[in-house]
This record gives sequence, structure tokens and C-alpha cells, in this order.
Amino acid sequence: MRGLLHRGASIGPTLLPHVLCHRSQCTDRSGRDRGTEAPRRPPPGGSMNVFDRTMKRNQKRWAASLQEHDKYDYLRAEVGRRVADRVYDIARYAASTTLDHQRAFTQHLHLRHSVVERFFLMDISENSLRLKRESEMPTHHVLGDEEFLPFKENTFDLVVSSLSLHWINDLPGALRQIQQVLKPDGVFVGAMVGGETLYELRCSLQLAELEREGGFAPHVSPYTAVTDLGNLLGQAGFNMLTVDIDEVQVHYPGMLEVISDLKAMGESNCAWNRKSMLHRDTILAAAAIYKEMYGNEDGSVPATFEILHMIGWKPHRSQAKPARRGSATASFADLSKIGLCSVPAMWFELLHRVLHQGG
Amino acid sequence: MSAPNAWSRSRERMRLFPELFSRCAEQAAAYGRCVAAGAPELRREACGREFAALKSCFVAAVMSCSGTRW
Repeated sequence: MRGLLHRGASIGPTLLPHVLCHRSQCTDRSGRDRGTEAPRRPPPGGSMNVFDRTMKRNQKRWAASLQEHDKYDYLRAEVGRRVADRVYDIARYAASTTLDHQRAFTQHLHLRHSVVERFFLMDISENSLRLKRESEMPTHHVLGDEEFLPFKENTFDLVVSSLSLHWINDLPGALRQIQQVLKPDGVFVGAMVGGETLYELRCSLQLAELEREGGFAPHVSPYTAVTDLGNLLGQAGFNMLTVDIDEVQVHYPGMLEVISDLKAMGESNCAWNRKSMLHRDTILAAAAIYKEMYGNEDGSVPATFEILHMIGWKPHRSQAKPARRGSATASFADLSKIGLCSVPAMWFELLHRVLHQGG
Repeated sequence: MSAPNAWSRSRERMRLFPELFSRCAEQAAAYGRCVAAGAPELRREACGREFAALKSCFVAAVMSCSGTRW
């Protein structure tokens, strides 16, 4: 049984179906099962088990329960705006789902009714889903884990994910599930933080720990490099890939404000290998290093977020395929025959032909 | 005790950090310059003297700020 939610069920925001998963790994998802299930321990050194998803759910729940949670939504709003831009460029949908926090899209009404008819919002944390946001279009709220999508195959025309893929353990598997859940000729538009995100924070902490304690432990979670993203999407079965990088730099008064804002966004580290403490001397040292090495003239410090945008299409016969080998009618060598003075002449000829053939 | 548990007390203390840190900007800059010069082959206590100056300035700032303990 793949999941309890069926397409077509109308669910208001107050009724959240609890999605059960068929795999034994995730029986911990249901709050009621805790009595019968032993606490989940990480398998030693698993490459596909980097993040503690239960911890991430708790962090998101805490962040959503803050009084002024919308004060910290600036990054999500900005990235949501950019992703919505890309969706408008494609623009032709009947139903769509977002695999991420409610806040990124409906908060700023980025996706308008003309583009998207029905909206499914999925999140791992119930509190985030319960935050009421106005939206122009009918929205279904689904409580689920991005790694175990509770939808049937070929359900959606558009899947959007904004700033949630960087906490997924099995990214290839998750991308494959997204590809399955899409209809043929459906599109996946995603944005995740990756590459050199928060390199200032990472380096300051490393140098401070090196100088103060003689060694360092990872404090910032690992990210996907942009070079790997193309491979990942290709292996998941997407066609016509587009990957590009955007850099968002946010200025803060100091290192501690960076850390507290990240925590309030629900972006605290939840990797299994994170060090759970930071010495007070190291904090002082890291703050000094951050300010000196990366600080701006006005006294603020920057924090860089490298956003990797990706667009992938599910294969369909209407999509352009690479031409058959040997079917070329023009050669690249012809390019060298185009002289500088003949270019305007060619344009006029082309224009003449277009105008007189009626376009 | 001013607050219910150790976590909330330490969170209250950390809230003072930016203000106190700004009072030791000069020592912080000196320490930062030393580390930046030594990076990446930094050894333990390579900038011990600068850090000691920073720490004593910071502790003095804490003491002068309504007797809180750092």
C-alpha cells in the first residue's frame, strides 16, 4: 500500500491525513507507534543516512511554533519568487504539487490561479502545515516525508521543490520518486541550497576550532555540488535538464545572528555526525574570525546561500530528441564562411523573405 | 536563579553576546588578522596571545554589564 491519500480526495487544512509508509524504516513517523517501536539508531557510517529526519521534523516544528516565524522567511520568499519565475516561463498546468514548506509559495501568492489549478502542499512537520496562508487556488495539505512520496505514479503535471532537498538522505531515490509521480511530459522545477552555501560560517568555525582546540568537527551540513546535480537528475530519468546557480547574500550584524536566524528558519544542522556542543572560547574566536575575514565596511557580515536551480522533464514522445547521426544538412564549417559584411545582407534577405511570405 | 533551567539561562546569556562583542572590536580584529595570516596551516594556540587579550576584554565587558557571569 503506497499511501492513504488518493488524488481527488478533498481535504481542508484542518484535516490532515496521517500518511503511513509501507517501509519498515519509517514506522517511527506515526506518533502513536512510539510505544511499540525501539528508538531508531543510525546504521554505522551509512552513506545514504546522513540526516536525522526525526530531528529535522522537531526543528521545523519548533520553528513553526515561534511567535514571529514569518520574520525569518526572507530567504524562502526570495527563492520561492525565483522558482515561481521559472514556472511562469513554462506555464501550462492543470494541477501541481509543492514538496516543501507552505511558506515558500502561498505566502506571496507567487503561483497564480492562471498557471496552477490545484495545489498539493507537502511537509514533514504538522505545525508548518497548520500555519494558515491565503492562497488563490484550492490547496490540499499533505503530511508526508519527501523521501517516501505518498502519491500514485503519473499524478502531477508539475512538481516544485524549494529549499527542502538538502535535508534528504537518499537524494537519487527521492528524485526518482518525483519522476515517477509526474505525468509524462510533466516538469520538475526545484531549488536547493548547495555548493558553497554558508562557506563563511563553515570556515570561521573550522579555523576557530583549529586554533582553539587543535582539530575541527563538521558543524555545517554537507551540500550537493552543482556538478553532481546534472548526473543525479539524469539518473533519475529526467530529460532536457537545466541547472543553474544563483547566489543570495544576506548581511547580518554578526555570527550569532546568522546562527539564530538559521535556527528560526528550521535550518539547523541535523546530520548524524554533527557535534552537539561548541565551546564558549570557540564561539568567541569564530565570531572574531568571521568579522575580520569576511566582514563588510559597515560592520555587518555576509552569509552566502548558493541556490542551485534545476528543471527536468519526464520523457514524452513529443519532446525533441537528438537527431539521428548523419542526418545533418549544414556543417559547422559553414560558419566560417559568413563574413562580417555579409551578415547585415543575410538579415535583410531573411526579413524580406519573411515579410513577403506572410510571416 | 533567574530562569527555570540551564538552557534558558544560557540562552539569556547568549543574547548579551553581540553587545559585549562589539565592545572588543579592536582585540577581535587583531585576533582575526592573526588567524587569517596563519590559515590554513594553523596550529593550536598559534594566536594565543591575541586570543588572551580578546578574552580578557570580553570578560571585563561581561563583569561591567550588571554582574552577569560568562
